[in-house]
Amino acid sequence: MKYICINCGYIYDPAQGDPMGEIPPGTAFEDLPDTWVCPLCYSTKDLFDPVD
Amino acid sequence: MKPSLASLYESVELIQPIKPLIIGERCNANGSKRFREALLADDYDTCLTIAREQEAVGAHVIDLCTAYAGRDEMKDMETLIPTYASSLKPPLMIDSTTPAVIERALQIYPGRCIINSVNLEDGGVNIYKVLKLVKQYGAAVVALTIDEKGMAMTAKDKLAVAKRIHAIAVDEMGLRPQDILFDPLTFTIGAGDETLRDAAIQTMDAIRGIKKELPGCLTMLGLSNISFGLSAASRKILNAVFLHEALEAGLDSCIIDAAKMMPLASIPEEDREICMDLLYDRVKDPEKSPLLTFIDHFSNAADTGDKEEEQKWKPIEAQLYDKVVTGNKDDLEDVLDMLLQRRSPLGIINDILVPGMRHVGELFGKGEILLPFVLQSAEVMKMAVRYLEPLMEKSDESDKLKILLATVQGDVHDIGKNLVDIILSNNGYKVYNIGIKVPAETVIQKAREYDVDIIGLSGLLVKSAMVMSESMPQYEEAGLNVPIFLGGAALTRKFVAQSCVPGYASPVVYNLVAFDALKKVRDFEAGTLKATEWSAPTDSKEVKPGLKDAAVSRDNPVPRAPFLGDRIVTDIDLEEVLSLINKQALFRGRWGYRRGKMTSGEYQDLIRTKVEPLYEDFRHQFLNEGLIDAKAAYGYFACESRENNLVMNHDGKEFDFAFPRQGEAPFLCLSDYYKNASEGGDVAGLFVVTIGEEVSKRTAQLYEADEYHDYLMLHAFSVEVTDALAEYWHKRMRQELGIASTEPENIHGYVTQQYQGSRYGFGYPSCPDISAQGLVFEMLKPERIGISLTENYEMVPEQSTSALVAHHPQAKYFAV
Repeated sequence: MKYICINCGYIYDPAQGDPMGEIPPGTAFEDLPDTWVCPLCYSTKDLFDPVD
Repeated sequence: MKPSLASLYESVELIQPIKPLIIGERCNANGSKRFREALLADDYDTCLTIAREQEAVGAHVIDLCTAYAGRDEMKDMETLIPTYASSLKPPLMIDSTTPAVIERALQIYPGRCIINSVNLEDGGVNIYKVLKLVKQYGAAVVALTIDEKGMAMTAKDKLAVAKRIHAIAVDEMGLRPQDILFDPLTFTIGAGDETLRDAAIQTMDAIRGIKKELPGCLTMLGLSNISFGLSAASRKILNAVFLHEALEAGLDSCIIDAAKMMPLASIPEEDREICMDLLYDRVKDPEKSPLLTFIDHFSNAADTGDKEEEQKWKPIEAQLYDKVVTGNKDDLEDVLDMLLQRRSPLGIINDILVPGMRHVGELFGKGEILLPFVLQSAEVMKMAVRYLEPLMEKSDESDKLKILLATVQGDVHDIGKNLVDIILSNNGYKVYNIGIKVPAETVIQKAREYDVDIIGLSGLLVKSAMVMSESMPQYEEAGLNVPIFLGGAALTRKFVAQSCVPGYASPVVYNLVAFDALKKVRDFEAGTLKATEWSAPTDSKEVKPGLKDAAVSRDNPVPRAPFLGDRIVTDIDLEEVLSLINKQALFRGRWGYRRGKMTSGEYQDLIRTKVEPLYEDFRHQFLNEGLIDAKAAYGYFACESRENNLVMNHDGKEFDFAFPRQGEAPFLCLSDYYKNASEGGDVAGLFVVTIGEEVSKRTAQLYEADEYHDYLMLHAFSVEVTDALAEYWHKRMRQELGIASTEPENIHGYVTQQYQGSRYGFGYPSCPDISAQGLVFEMLKPERIGISLTENYEMVPEQSTSALVAHHPQAKYFAV
């Protein structure tokens, strides 16, 4: 499932991962490290909402 | 001669041939929402209309009460009495407890009226003043059976108080018995209060006692109180049966909404019997109280209109609790009035309102309700407390936990601090909110002065995080030993744990969102509050977002600027600006409509039915009501990079911007995106935009008025509009530079910078030094569009933003 940053609107798409945060494609949001932050506004994981 | 009242047009016998004397109750600022709103709007015509309606449905007398917080009772009486006197046939009942107002009313009313009311609550002081006037002007008077001990609950006490008043009024002051209408008070039997099960019996016994032992005196009741808490339809029926019984007991008059009276004959025998069982507390079913029987019986009774009072049956305590939880202000004061008959103001706050807010907090914590609803609940809480406060002893505040809140020095942002204020103060804590830009010295001084238990510091800027960290030793040195809560966008748990906690001996606690403060305050009360801790996770290294690959290329072409120098623009297409609003960030982030535990379908429903309409409202307001006055000051400047600096030329002067460089790969610095002198130099853009100050004013008004929900919504919307304006202006500069060939197709494309180049705000991660704003202002002179800079380099009005524009294709956000 994709997740959206409620602060800036960035969408984390597991299919793409997050190259800026060195997250390989195929990584589920739940499996992101707790230290992972939004690549655009640095919001923490708890500020993400599921989208579909 | 029969005891009578008189208006300009008619005399009305106090003892009607067919009892009761009906006193219309709707012209009362406290009891009728419609009358109150008309009065608050100085709409005296509607005040008269409401009286006329009472007359039309058969009121013999019109009660008039203009006492309401914030209104000039005297002035309203002076305006309305002549109007009523000349327009209404029925005589008036002057509803006031202020002797000066009563005297003035008696002077200007051309007839014989009733004064409502006297009692012995103060042990017998005011009553002498009022009765002297009643005697002097030949009026009649209502006397309530209230004494120093409060409202008399039993027939015995009611009669005893009536006798005391009788002794003063008749024996001492020389009134005639027929000048006095005793109101022995009615309490509800509809709320499930065990101590009130016989309330109707006590009241009727008191009427009998008064008629027997105080011959010649009259009796009156506020009849509909008997059924408070029941459904509107069943109330009418119970009221009618009770009226019949009270008349049998000797009742002469009642104060009631004449429009809601129902003839006894229209009530079926079975219904009447069930009402009688409830009134006389006759238990026929050992399994079921008369009240439950009544409720079951009437649960299907169709209501004949009057939505205002429609309310499924619940005890009044539960009704108030529900109002807090659901954020419903309707009839709030009526409910509070009923509760005040059996609970202290502080009891209502502590036993009902605070637990209600606590529940709201828990629901929010579990993700079951959203922030906007929490704010509506807080508004109900605040309104109730406002109503109850004047009735409370001052000392009631002393044992509350005291919390000092401030936005730190150099920071003007107060939305976060104010949210914490709203949440804490409406959960029963005493909050001292000492404002914005507060220096540490003032925090120390006020913390001592108010002897607070907790200090909360807030600030949005990166600089504010530094200010907090640097001031910790100062608080320690000053000898403060209360916990300090920190909150703000630029803070992280790690920063607080590593840079703030060590400087201060008592707990320093990180708050991610406003609601954390409530949780932490509870921890403090429970003795479990601890300083924020942070341990580096072992499973992965810390992430610093930003591209990690490749050096910044040096062979990109330098675009041609349309002009060099600075300009201002004031005609901006608002429709286009608003089309760039980031709705996801607005709805979910700023407004707080997160999906939480909702299913996808539920969330979409919420967005469609509630959030989108709200958005359209705001959009409409901003476009059509002058809430936004968008302006820009901007320019293009010849520049060159010199190591970590970017030097721009303007008016023959050099402006030197210094930027930090990353301490790890790829060791980026903002100046890398610009060519140096040997590469031929470059061009840089700067802009400052604002949506004006009107919206800030409007926002501040909403906060002052305790309109918490609208306050947050408007503030959030204005922040997003400002961001949209920055997005719009950045786009326009790309077009002017001729680098707009690959533009985003949707908002998400803007979010993720699917365009050439980037823009960087001062005070943000890649250029954290906010003092560079001073240079920007020197170059662009945004004072010309109404923007100024504080000594701490923040822009006023708040809804303004500035940026450095880079055209380099590799330029994107990164953190240092």
